[in-house]
Amino acid sequence: MKTEDKKIEETNSLEVPTIIFDKRLEQYKNRDMFPKKMARVKEIIAKHGLPKIEKE
Amino acid sequence: MNKPKYLYTSEDDLLVFQFTSIGTKGQIKKMVTYLYTGTENVYNLGFGDLNEETNEIDDLSVTNNGDSEKVLATVASTILTFTKKYPNALIVATGSTAVRTRLYRMGISNNLQEIQINFSVYGFTEQGEWEKFVVGKNYEAFLITKK
Repeated sequence: MKTEDKKIEETNSLEVPTIIFDKRLEQYKNRDMFPKKMARVKEIIAKHGLPKIEKE
Repeated sequence: MNKPKYLYTSEDDLLVFQFTSIGTKGQIKKMVTYLYTGTENVYNLGFGDLNEETNEIDDLSVTNNGDSEKVLATVASTILTFTKKYPNALIVATGSTAVRTRLYRMGISNNLQEIQINFSVYGFTEQGEWEKFVVGKNYEAFLITKK
């Protein structure tokens, strides 16, 4: 089994896989790349609120 | 979800995730983002293909790379990772098209039993109301939060 395949197999068996950090992704952080969706989500929340959340 | 998924990368705050879909059309870089909406604990889930030339995410493309279940399982896995760091987060997801919204609905429906072990799922109805997610029903938006 190749190392990469082994890594993927191990990853699949974990609830939260091992995360590889990549600083380059910081450029996308807090950037609204889906403005239409965000506007709609904000509109739904403003008009209809949020569901009643039942926390256990 | 204990299903095949892609390895992914993230940055320190676990708000942005990237992975590569490998399938019949080749390798396609995918991005998942969690963006704060301005309402306490509410984050908008964004998902699409990364255009490396423009550095933009295309959430309208239909790549048909033959690995949609694996892609969906990877997106679901980022939710697990994200909520480990932000346990009170309410994640809202809306599809960019009716097809993608249906894909999300199917993804939730097909894995609902497993999802509901740790998460509560709600749907925003066409009548403009939030309700607990019902399998087979159409929703405009979905909200998922840790129990």
